[in-house]
Amino acid sequence: MKYMIETRGLSKRYGEKYSVKDLRLKIRPGCVYGFLGPNGAGKSTTMKMILGLVKPTTGEIQMFGRELGEKNRIAMLRNTGSLIESPSYYGHLNGRENLEIVQTLKGAPPEEIDEVLGIVRLEGQQKKKVKEYSLGMKQRLGLAAALLGRPKLLLLDEPTNGLDPAGIQEIRELISDLPKHYGMTVMVSSHLLSEIDQMATDVGIINKGKLIYQGGLQKLHEQAKSSLHIHILNQGAAIRILEENKESYQIEGEELVFPECGEQRTARLVALLAAHGAQVTRVIEKQRSLEDIFLTLTGKQVSL
Amino acid sequence: MWKEWKSEWMKVRYRKIGLILSAFLGIIILWIVWAVRDAPQEGIWDGYRMSFLQLSLIDTILMPTMIAMLASRLCDAEVKGDMLKLLCTMEQKGRLFDMKLLMGSVYLVVFVAAELGIIMGMSILYGYGRPLEPIQVLYFVIQIYLVSFVIYLFQQVLSFFFENQIIPLAAGLFGSFVGLFAWFFSGNLRKLFIWDFYSLLCFIHYNWDEKTRIMTYYNVPFDTGSLIALLIILALGYTAGKNLFLRKEI
Repeated sequence: MKYMIETRGLSKRYGEKYSVKDLRLKIRPGCVYGFLGPNGAGKSTTMKMILGLVKPTTGEIQMFGRELGEKNRIAMLRNTGSLIESPSYYGHLNGRENLEIVQTLKGAPPEEIDEVLGIVRLEGQQKKKVKEYSLGMKQRLGLAAALLGRPKLLLLDEPTNGLDPAGIQEIRELISDLPKHYGMTVMVSSHLLSEIDQMATDVGIINKGKLIYQGGLQKLHEQAKSSLHIHILNQGAAIRILEENKESYQIEGEELVFPECGEQRTARLVALLAAHGAQVTRVIEKQRSLEDIFLTLTGKQVSL
Repeated sequence: MWKEWKSEWMKVRYRKIGLILSAFLGIIILWIVWAVRDAPQEGIWDGYRMSFLQLSLIDTILMPTMIAMLASRLCDAEVKGDMLKLLCTMEQKGRLFDMKLLMGSVYLVVFVAAELGIIMGMSILYGYGRPLEPIQVLYFVIQIYLVSFVIYLFQQVLSFFFENQIIPLAAGLFGSFVGLFAWFFSGNLRKLFIWDFYSLLCFIHYNWDEKTRIMTYYNVPFDTGSLIALLIILALGYTAGKNLFLRKEI
């Protein structure tokens, strides 16, 4: 099995508007796949389609190497845990009783309840009615329910919503460790780039329902290469001399920008411009951050 | 299927459904006791027929409201706690609908059995003279159980679709009024609403003599036409309700 989840031409249309269009996800086994995108980009709809909660307008979904259909959906989802949008719970029951229902439906061993309660640190609150839980505790309970039955695949939609900073860090660490400790594949969505950066090994960026980047997070980092910014007073002379020497450049206001500029080229360019009266005042090396890349890809301000 | 059935019983813990049903049964007991104690000797002698008629009447008033509460107690927890999106990854959506229907039907069976128990208990206490016609027990079960089940189906669909349970409960109250009015009207217009079938399927009628102030009861043929109409409504209602639920995106 090459991919844990693979979608082909997955689309969802509401009225005339596409919420998700022609999505081609490829999620490798054993990875933490960060599904990143601004609010309303189509992340939750995509995850709901994968779980069969929303019917795709067009497209196919393969899970565990097999086509997902209405007939085999529940059998295939038996190896899946999910937490979509807000946590699901029975408010009139306590935390443990909620997990007992999930454990019964999943056919998981009862001992696992204590285990997952321990993982999400809810042992002390298990006898409390869930309607009295804080949002963060409900989120932890939702995560515990998703972990029941030791699923091979976890789909977590914004799992750190409502958690306090310590809880956020704890859950992020837990998610990153899941493939290593339990052999799970995790698809986790977020609108926070920094969050995905801390958890994921692979990333898919979705914007306005379209997948605009997919690949290893490392590859995305590689795109964050530095560029050289030279501030000059005589731009006309500088452009003339650069054209004559066939040097590639971009103009950003009063600065000339040289992408991917190594040390030798920097030295040569500065010497050339200074020698021909371009009047160099500042030479700055700027590192392109992941946020800049996200902004370039999505055209939207990223949440930090 | 066993797992889903077991989980349904786990969900209804602390929902006090038994208490709700008991409260309604309590009102029914009070009604029947009042009716029997207030009846002349002739009425007590024909106690079974009187009880069937009185129960048909009081059920028309109480059952729609009780069923609305029952359906709401069984289904609102899923809606309130946003549980459908989790449950539907573990069980077939259609099966969840069926399980809820089965749960409701079990409670209704218990309720109708308790009503029969009340009739039997009253006959022991007051010594009804005229013997019980066994076929009338069957008619009574068909009348009360089947109509209640169709109403439950309708209320379940409403409870699944509205987060605010005031709407299904209001529908239940509306049903009580409509059903009650149906006792005083005749004609096919009575078959418009499901709550009217309590009176349509009633197999006992009465004559009221103003001079002697004596009520005499008599059997009427069981209305098989109405029964067939109700079964058609049930089949159509089930298909439509389940399809609506299946189509509902979570």
